[in-house]
Amino acid sequence: MSSEPIERRVSYLGDRLKASRCTICGKEYFEIRDYCSNCGRKSYMKMAAADLFYDKGKLELCTLVSEPTNKFTKLESFVYGIISFHGGKIRVPGRLTDRIIKDGETVDFASLEGKEVVPRFRRRCSVSKSDVVPTISLTFTLADQYYPHREYNVLPPNKDSELPGIVGYGVYTSRFRTKEGGIERAVPFIDEDAVTAAVEAGKTALIHSALDSSLVGKVYVGSESNPYAVKPIASKVAQVLKLGEEDGDVQGVDAVDTEFACKAGTSMFKDAAALVSYQRSGVKYAMVIAADNSQAAPRGCPGGELDMFVGYGGAAFIFGKQDVIAEIEGWYSVTSDTPDFWRRDGETFPMHGGRFTGDPAYFKHVRKASSKLMERYNLKAGDINYFVPHQPNPAFPVRVAKELGFKEEQYACSLQVNRFGNTYSGCSPVGLAAVLDVAKPEERILVASYGSGAGSDAYLLRTTSLLLEKRQRQKMNVKYMNENPFIEYVDYNTYRRLKLGM
Amino acid sequence: MQNRPAMVAVGRTKFGEHYGKEPEKLIEEAWLTASNSCGIERRDLEACYLSDCFLPITNKLGLEEGFLSELTQLHVPMEVTRSVSAALQTACHAIQAGVYKTVLVGGIEKMTDRWDKIRDDLMLLEDPWSYYTGATPESNHELMMRAYIKKFGLKGKDLDKLNTALAQVAVKNHLHATKNQYAQYQKAITVEQVVNARKAARKPLGLYDFAPISDGASALILTAETNAKKLTDKPVYVRAVASATDYLNYHARDDLAHFIATQIAMENALTTSGVNLADIHLVQLNDQSTMMEMVSLEDMGFCESGTAWKMIFDSCKDYKGYYQVNGKKLYTNLNGGLKADGNPLGATGGAQLYEIFKQLRGEAGARQAAPEAELGFGCSQELEGFGTKAYVTILGRN
Repeated sequence: MSSEPIERRVSYLGDRLKASRCTICGKEYFEIRDYCSNCGRKSYMKMAAADLFYDKGKLELCTLVSEPTNKFTKLESFVYGIISFHGGKIRVPGRLTDRIIKDGETVDFASLEGKEVVPRFRRRCSVSKSDVVPTISLTFTLADQYYPHREYNVLPPNKDSELPGIVGYGVYTSRFRTKEGGIERAVPFIDEDAVTAAVEAGKTALIHSALDSSLVGKVYVGSESNPYAVKPIASKVAQVLKLGEEDGDVQGVDAVDTEFACKAGTSMFKDAAALVSYQRSGVKYAMVIAADNSQAAPRGCPGGELDMFVGYGGAAFIFGKQDVIAEIEGWYSVTSDTPDFWRRDGETFPMHGGRFTGDPAYFKHVRKASSKLMERYNLKAGDINYFVPHQPNPAFPVRVAKELGFKEEQYACSLQVNRFGNTYSGCSPVGLAAVLDVAKPEERILVASYGSGAGSDAYLLRTTSLLLEKRQRQKMNVKYMNENPFIEYVDYNTYRRLKLGM
Repeated sequence: MQNRPAMVAVGRTKFGEHYGKEPEKLIEEAWLTASNSCGIERRDLEACYLSDCFLPITNKLGLEEGFLSELTQLHVPMEVTRSVSAALQTACHAIQAGVYKTVLVGGIEKMTDRWDKIRDDLMLLEDPWSYYTGATPESNHELMMRAYIKKFGLKGKDLDKLNTALAQVAVKNHLHATKNQYAQYQKAITVEQVVNARKAARKPLGLYDFAPISDGASALILTAETNAKKLTDKPVYVRAVASATDYLNYHARDDLAHFIATQIAMENALTTSGVNLADIHLVQLNDQSTMMEMVSLEDMGFCESGTAWKMIFDSCKDYKGYYQVNGKKLYTNLNGGLKADGNPLGATGGAQLYEIFKQLRGEAGARQAAPEAELGFGCSQELEGFGTKAYVTILGRN
């Protein structure tokens, strides 16, 4: 059993890489300090925060850990070293992640030393199933590889919008893929899970929006693969991303997890939009994250059919009424009690209703929500530029799009299931992000999510001219992650091992 | 040092795995050896200074003084420190202050009882943030080696020489241990074995570069100078015990290639003792790794910073039993060092002092470096953690 207070303190400092700087002499510390050891008493109240979370560091020294301590054995071998920040003012220990070191493979330490690295938010180590999941951002990847360094420059909001809408978004998925049956799917590295993807997607959304994170008054996280049955992902997101006003070690933000299979995230778009529109809520911005390390039983076991399609990743959207890139024009949701896919409490993997997941489930609900929404706004398929359906496999979204009268050019760019796999809650949100990456101003997007159980949320969005302006900040967009030269493909056994996690 | 404390007897157990023995059995053995050799009775002890690094973790013993009290049936003051050098320092202060005349200084550790978790414990206690990010007890040594290579710009043939020199350190220490009946590993090894272990681990340092996990105990009797000759004809005086402290987090230190704590402790020990560096002929270094022995030779001033590897390489090409430092003989880790003698943390320092005591009295048997009259002073370096605390003790016959 790990110690909860120690766990909390390590995560509190380590997740965000909290550092402090003496405003008198400039000395920096990796921790929160009330005093500077150089300046002593006169530095009291003169220490400034200097978090390293959005910074880039330099790998100073490294070695290989090939016989890890007990809690790290699932990582097998990894590069471990010392990383400096701010020109050497702060040094921290760190592990390089996202790298599978094969048996017998040697690492050239000298060639790695001196390289720039970016902190990544990951699981810290293995613990027993009943323990708190330890996390940390003292895990790094090389800045010139899959995950680039991006500056987080906050800009004041500038343009009011009549309708609420998306003010920023971000997608996250890992650099690992498995390729099989004509589709590629994202595979988490062994220290990744739904929590780490949620935080990374939220980080990207903040960078893209240039929004001061303290203005976000509510965060919703939808997932069906939270490592906890009870304990929100949203609290971790709020703490690490410093959402809402910071007061001591508490954030002035409401954070909640939602669950409705694959529509746990999209369902909250309207709630977020409504909340920011209700002036007396005091919430100017709300963040919705949908992320999953999509679960599937091993092939050949009951529920193992899902193993052909499950992916990993998620997307985050920030809603507000200022500097909007896509306004929400309307929505329509449908629900029926249809148990086409479920996971009982305590079970590791979900089950599904086989052929009944199609017509009475996915197709009926997606078709209904989409057509009702178009009907309400008196729109035809031809009036819409992009259609983004939920995509549990490559066939379903194409069929439903055609049935609704959409042409390939309207839905093709939203289809990411061939690249990321079915990211469950993250599925249609990632499709929406892929469209926002390429859409022009004043275009209409229809998103239709689907959640087993069952229901669908359809949204009508209209892009604005700010879309293009903010796009320059979206370094890690869907295309970038799909076509990245550093993607590493893994075989079936490795995929299962990585997916199972630490 | 005024009112010099004198060592009048030493004792130790074999280092290694003592599967069947309780920790108290080990200290009993060490204490009995020491007390028998100087004819002292337990009632003569006015205080006990015991060291263990983590018996509360390895053996769930939280009040070590209590079992020592039961063992000796003594109710005198007893204190626990983390290393024998720390215990010795406290004991010396008490004797110098005239509080006690005769005390027991002992050390004990039983690491193999927690074999499956010991590396985690070691690392967590030594440097917590490094542990949280995946460090092993070995990795800081390897990072220090990388830092050293970068600091002095070593490459090509020089780098090869450094690698060989570090292997030679292990080979030399194992060779010394072949003559030490108490050593954990009494067998010789080759440079090739050391190098192959590194290759197998794909790391800068391998299995043979590191000291092992050990059980063991050591003890010594310390008395005031005025009392020393009553107990032995050949007391060995503690000329100085100096210590210094460094940051717990290795990565936060200014110089990653050296141990500043050793440098400061050594400087203070020389000042306090009034001994010249050149008159120190015997040294026991804290070689938790071969890298640590090399760096310590520089930190203690025997070699210029950045040059110890050359000296080691040259001395070991045709090893004669000592390092050749500036044309002089420096007998180093004659007991086999931590590498081969063993490293039961809380008892290790006792074995280092044991060796110097025996050598200075000409009682080291097959290991005797030279007739004792030719050996001036002996010096021992002990570290707690990864150079977080450094102790330097200087011993002499006068």
